[in-house]
Amino acid sequence: MKKYSGDWYWYYVINSVLVILILFPIYWTFISSVKKPDELITSEPTFYPHTWTWQYYDRIWNYDTAVLTSATTATNNSSKKIHKTTGSVTQTIGIDDAFTNSAIVSVGTIIFSIIVSTFAGYGLTFFRIPFKEVLFILLITPILVPAISLIIPIYKLLKVLGLTDSYLGLIFLHTTAMLPIGVFMMRNAFSSIPNSLREVALLEGTSELKIIGNVMLPLAIPGLLTVMVFAMYISWNDYVLAFLFINSPEKTMLNIALAKIALGGSQFEMKWGSLTAGSMISFIPIIIFYTLLQRYFVRGITGSAVKE
Amino acid sequence: MSRLRREQIVGLLMTLPALLLLSIFFLYPLFNSFWMSLHKWPLFGKPKWVGLDNYVWMINDERFWQCLKFTLVYTITVTPMLFIVAIGTALLCNVKTWGTTFFRSIYFLPVVMSFATASFVWLWLYSEWYGVIIFLLKAIGFGPEDGQLSVWTDGWTAMWAVNAMVTWKFAGIQMIILLAGLQSIRDDYYEASRLMGASRFQTIWNITLPLLRPSIALALILSIAGSIQAYEQFQIMTRGGPMNETKTLVMLTIGMGFDYFKLGPAAALGVIIMSILFVITLIQLRLFRKAY
Repeated sequence: MKKYSGDWYWYYVINSVLVILILFPIYWTFISSVKKPDELITSEPTFYPHTWTWQYYDRIWNYDTAVLTSATTATNNSSKKIHKTTGSVTQTIGIDDAFTNSAIVSVGTIIFSIIVSTFAGYGLTFFRIPFKEVLFILLITPILVPAISLIIPIYKLLKVLGLTDSYLGLIFLHTTAMLPIGVFMMRNAFSSIPNSLREVALLEGTSELKIIGNVMLPLAIPGLLTVMVFAMYISWNDYVLAFLFINSPEKTMLNIALAKIALGGSQFEMKWGSLTAGSMISFIPIIIFYTLLQRYFVRGITGSAVKE
Repeated sequence: MSRLRREQIVGLLMTLPALLLLSIFFLYPLFNSFWMSLHKWPLFGKPKWVGLDNYVWMINDERFWQCLKFTLVYTITVTPMLFIVAIGTALLCNVKTWGTTFFRSIYFLPVVMSFATASFVWLWLYSEWYGVIIFLLKAIGFGPEDGQLSVWTDGWTAMWAVNAMVTWKFAGIQMIILLAGLQSIRDDYYEASRLMGASRFQTIWNITLPLLRPSIALALILSIAGSIQAYEQFQIMTRGGPMNETKTLVMLTIGMGFDYFKLGPAAALGVIIMSILFVITLIQLRLFRKAY
């Protein structure tokens, strides 16, 4: 390919076309969320915003209740899971609360995943545990059986444990979904650290917990970051579990709050502006995470880094 | 207490949190799904053993076959779409030159967006009255001159509309998997093939693709498994319509369980989905191993 400059010309043309195609939906979402209603709701769309407004962001973030209320009444018959009616008043919450809820569950999942995977990875690397390989393989089996085919027994289980409609229930489920990647990554990370390092520290009388915190984790930071990125990804992007297992309006997760707007009356004037603005709000945290930690994201998918 | 003993205990204690989570939230539901599928679940009172009745009931239900058929059609159509885009972009990104890293990050970008958000965004792009895709389709001559054009009124077009979104959203994951495979192919092979005067296409066909088999298998398994579990994209974009034409197996399962409270048949469906996935994964692994 290096011989002919004509090839390079085509190389960049093809790539540029693909880049434009792939960025277009994101670009379009953004410009839709800042156009004024009369420019947005038209059959002759403009390809860049002639007018500029933050009103949808302002609206869904601050004065959202009205938007969500009319949206939920419209979806009333399509699914009983989507909202709860208390007396005659339909309770709804705003995007800001939904954002906080999602953030709580994501942060919880990240913390739980890090603790659980670090200990498991450490134990499975440095200790002579009976059936070590069996345990390891067992811990990565959930990757073969999708949670969604177990949704009915999981629902029963949460009911028995009293974990339906709670952040903790979701955090547990997300952390379990994280187990395969987490344990695999942390075991890999610890395996590359020589055991002698740990033995020296042990001889000096350092406790096992201190060794993990002060010696091992600083050396396993790439693995740790991979676990963080993936826990964030799984938790923040979850839709099904949040949809089925959270019933209280005040605990609604961000993706579900967006669904309420999306499924609202199709002629509703503010709907599309609110929805695109909401989509941007949901996209921004994960895009920041991704930009900072892209390498680790790739590592989580392939099990190894892709070369630059 | 001997040193070994102590080490075993401490080691087990460390894996304990992970094992507990696994047992409670994965292994128990896994076994329970079989158990539940063999029982009848009345609204009140104790579950009753009914043997395979739930499965028989499900298999005799027309909805099951409709959803199964749609799920398979969806899987068969979306997998090649995803794969072609993925292998194309992976080959483009495997060249070492100015800009490749940038292109790669862009191709991967949609992957990080949540599936639900991607569905909402594309719902807007496809909006009957104001959607830009509809506008562009009309501009190049699709649809009636002055009337409405909607992708959602027909099951077939609705599926392709969703396929396009899914390809946009997930091609990046497959690209990264294939790219990791491409990078593990040693340069000498290419060198040898170049010395023997092979064309670029011949090199890709005879060297790259055969050596890429493990990565291709992984990418295909992921995409097929993902498509068989399809839920969010159709739940959000088509809501199963029109006339339940785009209703997937998982949508049926969740509807059974959470709208009609038929827990037995729903659990049976879960087991059926699991088995389908299991068989497909086995076949694929076998096929790709044999070819070596």
